[in-house]
Amino acid sequence: MADTVNKTLDPQLNRRGFLKGCTMAAAALGLSDTMIPKLVEAAATAERPRVIWLHFQECTGCTESLLRGSHPDLARLILDIISLDYHETVMAAAGHQAEQNLLETVENHPFILVVEGAIPRKDGGIYCKIAGKTAMEILGEVAPKASAIISIGTCASFGGVQAAAPNPTGAAGVQDYPELVGSTPIINIPGCPPNPISFLGTILHYLTFKRLPALDSMNRPLFAYGRKIHDQCERRAHFNEGRFVEQYGDEAHKLGYCLFKVGCKGPETFANCPAVRFNDVGVWPVSVGHGCTGCTEPNFWDTMTPFYERLPNVKIPFAGSVQSADQIGKKILGVTAAAVGVHAVVGVGKRLIKGNKDD
Amino acid sequence: MVTYEKQRCWSILLRLFHWMFALSIVVLATTGFYINNPWAGNMIEGSRAWPITSYVRYIHFIAAYTFSSAVAIRLFLYIFGNKQERVLDILPVTGRNLKNLFSTLLHYSYISDKHDERLGHNLLAGATYLITFFAALFMILSGFYMLFPEVAFWQKWGVILLGSQQQARLYHHLVMWWFIIFSVIHVYFLTWNDIRHPEGLISSMFTGVKFKQKV
Ligand code: HEM
Ligand code: HEM
Ligand code: SF4
Ligand code: SF4
Repeated sequence: MADTVNKTLDPQLNRRGFLKGCTMAAAALGLSDTMIPKLVEAAATAERPRVIWLHFQECTGCTESLLRGSHPDLARLILDIISLDYHETVMAAAGHQAEQNLLETVENHPFILVVEGAIPRKDGGIYCKIAGKTAMEILGEVAPKASAIISIGTCASFGGVQAAAPNPTGAAGVQDYPELVGSTPIINIPGCPPNPISFLGTILHYLTFKRLPALDSMNRPLFAYGRKIHDQCERRAHFNEGRFVEQYGDEAHKLGYCLFKVGCKGPETFANCPAVRFNDVGVWPVSVGHGCTGCTEPNFWDTMTPFYERLPNVKIPFAGSVQSADQIGKKILGVTAAAVGVHAVVGVGKRLIKGNKDD
Repeated sequence: MVTYEKQRCWSILLRLFHWMFALSIVVLATTGFYINNPWAGNMIEGSRAWPITSYVRYIHFIAAYTFSSAVAIRLFLYIFGNKQERVLDILPVTGRNLKNLFSTLLHYSYISDKHDERLGHNLLAGATYLITFFAALFMILSGFYMLFPEVAFWQKWGVILLGSQQQARLYHHLVMWWFIIFSVIHVYFLTWNDIRHPEGLISSMFTGVKFKQKV
């Protein structure tokens, strides 16, 4: 029988919080409420999966949002259903002892690997080192032995801010290192930071059904990244009916109209933010008046910026200048029109001088 | 006194393709600009619903299906059309076609007055039509990837060939400019040829017939 009165788990996590966390995850997964007892049972069994959590090039924002949100129950639930054998931010061990724990788990136990942060490739990977080893070396040692890899955050999934042009350290996501990862399945939970519910849902799905959830072609779980923000947004009616914010702080902004014209990237972004929301207070960026920045998509620092424009600018090769798509288009059109004009004038001039020689 | 005779040139299917293609592009570019920057605001909240953005997108998608059907027709004609319509007639691979390419270049740059007589497209025009055909395939790929991102086929190829939705959107927008620029060049050289050579070039796209000197 599942320990839903919580005798073995964290004493601070009460039954109510425990059930609430499982129910939120079930809702995010799109499971019927008849499945909740199964999730609860799976979460409460004694056999807690071992998790190794590696930090590479990152800001620890993903860990912060997971553990220090206004979800104490959620954070405790996550820490209780998994056995976190190695996590630089929260583990008690330090120095050699910590590295010993890591080795012990890698060599002797099945485990899930969670990676936070990008892995730099340039110059032999020297731009990120832990305990004297490069991130690439550590990944190469740990990843092939893991039963699954969860890349948490956009950095570990696609490179994130470190990989933004000109990408000085050659940063890339875990899935860009197939030679180091081997055949271990990878699941990306991008976001800057991602919603803790998406992480919890993935773990609970794994515990309950003993397999990873269905993924899209970028290895993101479909339960969380299967729909566009724009197709779930509460301001969509304003979009459809042509009521747009023209400028931050204008009357339309105060009335809560659609943020498309001030650069909202909801139409190009897959995530569950409008449905799951954040921080236990039911908010997400658009609900508080700021457009989506597309943080769950690859290369978002390069392609979703400028954040307040519809389309990214285009770098003109050789000229070194950066222009918008329409500026470029209009210029080429102007040159074409001028060329056509010159061609016509030359033709007319020639005819005036030489007379009509055509057949 | 030279006499001219009618020669059948463009099948009804090719003319159908042309006007489906040209008209749908006018609609697609117009609605495309609107989708990029919707200016018609309906500021009366709570009035009778008038989903203007949805309608404009809907028109874009109807035109997109017309456009895609036209491209399918052209693909069929490249393989099974009459002699002027087949792709081999405009590929610079045969001696006859290469000769036409050079003589057209000289003719268009006012160096030579000689007009290489042929019933179908000249090679320079043919090259722009081929580029336009591939640009059209690109618009279909990026467009359907944006329209049906959840469908496995479009998702797979869209991610492999284009990347994220945002990248697809940028390239979709950039390649639109090719169609606008092509239209200017196209209509200019049609007019230029129509003035210089009495073969009835422009009307051939309505009637399917060109007028050639009787030999
Ligand atoms: C020559 C042909 C076409 C032109 C010139 C054109 C032009 C455009 C432009 C300028 C945009 C706005 C992009 C932006 O935000 O800047 C757009 C959006 C779009 N186009 Fe096209 N397009 C063409 C063909 C197609 C085709 C064949 C499809 C296939 C279904 C398609 C589907 C779409 C979709 C789904 C959007 C996004 C609409 C939205 O999210 O609201 N387009 N198009
Ligand atoms: C004023 C309107 C137009 C007229 C009178 C017109 C007429 C013609 C004519 C006479 C040809 C045959 C030319 C030749 O033999 O080289 C042609 C071909 C073609 N036109 Fe247009 N055109 C018009 C607008 C457009 C537009 C707006 C587009 C698309 C942007 C377009 C796309 C094409 C293409 C792709 C072909 C090649 C047909 C083929 O694949 O065989 N046309 N047009
Ligand atoms: S994805 Fe964002 S929040 Fe997470 S580590 Fe990278 S920069 Fe920080
Ligand atoms: S605010 Fe953004 S996500 Fe919401 S309807 Fe407007 S464009 Fe779409």
